[in-house]
Amino acid sequence: MAYLRPRDLSVEFPIYQGGSRSLKKALLAASSQGNVARDAFDRVTVRALGQVSFDLEDGDRLALIGGNGAGKTTLLRVLAGIFQPTQGRLFAAGRVSALLNPSVGLDPDSTGRENIILRGIYLGIHPREMRPRVDEVAAFAELGHFIDLPVRTYSAGMMIRLAFAVSTCVPTEILLMDEWLSAGDAHFLARAHQRMADFVRSSKIMVLASHSMPLVEEWCNRGILLEQGRVVASGPVRDVVARYREREAAGQSTAPARQAAG
Amino acid sequence: MATAEPLTDGTGPSSAWPAPPSRASLALGDLRQGCSSGWMWTALAMQDIRLRYRGSALGPFWLTISTLIMSVAMGGIYPHLFGTNAANYVPYLVTGLVLWQFVSTTIAEGCGTFVAMESVIHQTPMPFSVHAFRVVYRNLIVLAHNAILVPFGLLLFHVPVDARLLLAAPALLLLSLNAVWVSLFLGIVSARFRDVPPIVASFLQVVFFVTPVFWAPDALGRWKIFADLNPLFAAVDIVRAPLLGVPTQPWSWWVMLAATLLGGGGAFVFFARFRSRIAYWL
Repeated sequence: MAYLRPRDLSVEFPIYQGGSRSLKKALLAASSQGNVARDAFDRVTVRALGQVSFDLEDGDRLALIGGNGAGKTTLLRVLAGIFQPTQGRLFAAGRVSALLNPSVGLDPDSTGRENIILRGIYLGIHPREMRPRVDEVAAFAELGHFIDLPVRTYSAGMMIRLAFAVSTCVPTEILLMDEWLSAGDAHFLARAHQRMADFVRSSKIMVLASHSMPLVEEWCNRGILLEQGRVVASGPVRDVVARYREREAAGQSTAPARQAAG
Repeated sequence: MATAEPLTDGTGPSSAWPAPPSRASLALGDLRQGCSSGWMWTALAMQDIRLRYRGSALGPFWLTISTLIMSVAMGGIYPHLFGTNAANYVPYLVTGLVLWQFVSTTIAEGCGTFVAMESVIHQTPMPFSVHAFRVVYRNLIVLAHNAILVPFGLLLFHVPVDARLLLAAPALLLLSLNAVWVSLFLGIVSARFRDVPPIVASFLQVVFFVTPVFWAPDALGRWKIFADLNPLFAAVDIVRAPLLGVPTQPWSWWVMLAATLLGGGGAFVFFARFRSRIAYWL
């Protein structure tokens, strides 16, 4: 059984600016009791997530909804174990795989074939197990002869197809996805949809962060609405989407006020 | 891959949860996981090497050639400078240069242990120690290419080889172990302070000249203690002396063991303290 239970998760990002990234200035500041370069450790922190809690069990498909900067990607990264929460705890069981921004992880100088193996290694899959899948991945991504050329020679569409195909070739228990499927041409999207459906079905838990309400309503059964890192609504996906739309509509008038407060 | 706290399932009141795992046990788990995924960092290091020398017919042997050229040039001139004969000096120089290259590039690349892997670290959860092992293993592969010069240097100048040669193996192992903590430590510091890599690079340049790599520590006379206590000299000496069939300097093994214990211990404490911050700093 897989589960994912964040409890009061909070994340604060340190913002380093100018001198605070310099060892020299940090040492100077320490030795001169803060007179010289006293701004060396002048750290500003940004609260990206505040006291997020929820329970996910087998079969749960959670949508993370919220505007830009609401904390969706940060939450996915915490759930994936990439960021350790600054407060709160994360209880999890099951093999996690995160599809955050798959084209970022591609190495432009390696060939398509090498990138498939490479991504496998990062996901913890031995090259021995990955090699038999290379042809299937290449075929799905419609790479043709480009499979043995460096990825830097690929078109944007080919890169996304490759990234998608390789990320979805090994089933996983807990699937964390950032919205990225929207890229790609219509022909590919239709085929990706089928593959995605199979992939999601084989996973026990899915968390999908997205701006696209139709996408979210299609794939998810539960939802969480994030605003400035806090959960402002949770429940069945339809209700949460409705809340999001309400707040969006109301937000037109309250946005300036919020800006002044923040 | 990363299961945060598998022993507790988080149900029930928070008062019933066991204490979260300590930083030390998390760091230890990271290292243990890194050690046991040897296939991961060996495969990644091989890919690094393939990539770096793609399109060059000689591959990593380019470095071997540059070391060869340096050895020939310095080996031709320095014996006159130091007033020794080439038969003594050249094998000492070649082995010294080959080993120094390993020591210095591992330290320099250790600064990029995490910074260079930013996109991977932000995409996929994996043990942080894997990145350090990868740096060290990659440099061991380069060392293996460079080391081809060593037997030539030894045979050409009829250096007698005896059973002491076997000591080079544990010495290299100890050297690699130290390379791991150095990569881990410098990797963390460089992730936080971005001016560390250039500082380290200029430091290495100076250290090359003040460390007995291409000159003998005996030349220092009564100041020889500065060579004896220099851990970078000890690192070169414990591997080089067995290859040349001469005894190591009396302090070298002790200095290296002390560096392993103190440096390794210190780096572990540092790693345990800041491991959870690395992803935030990148």
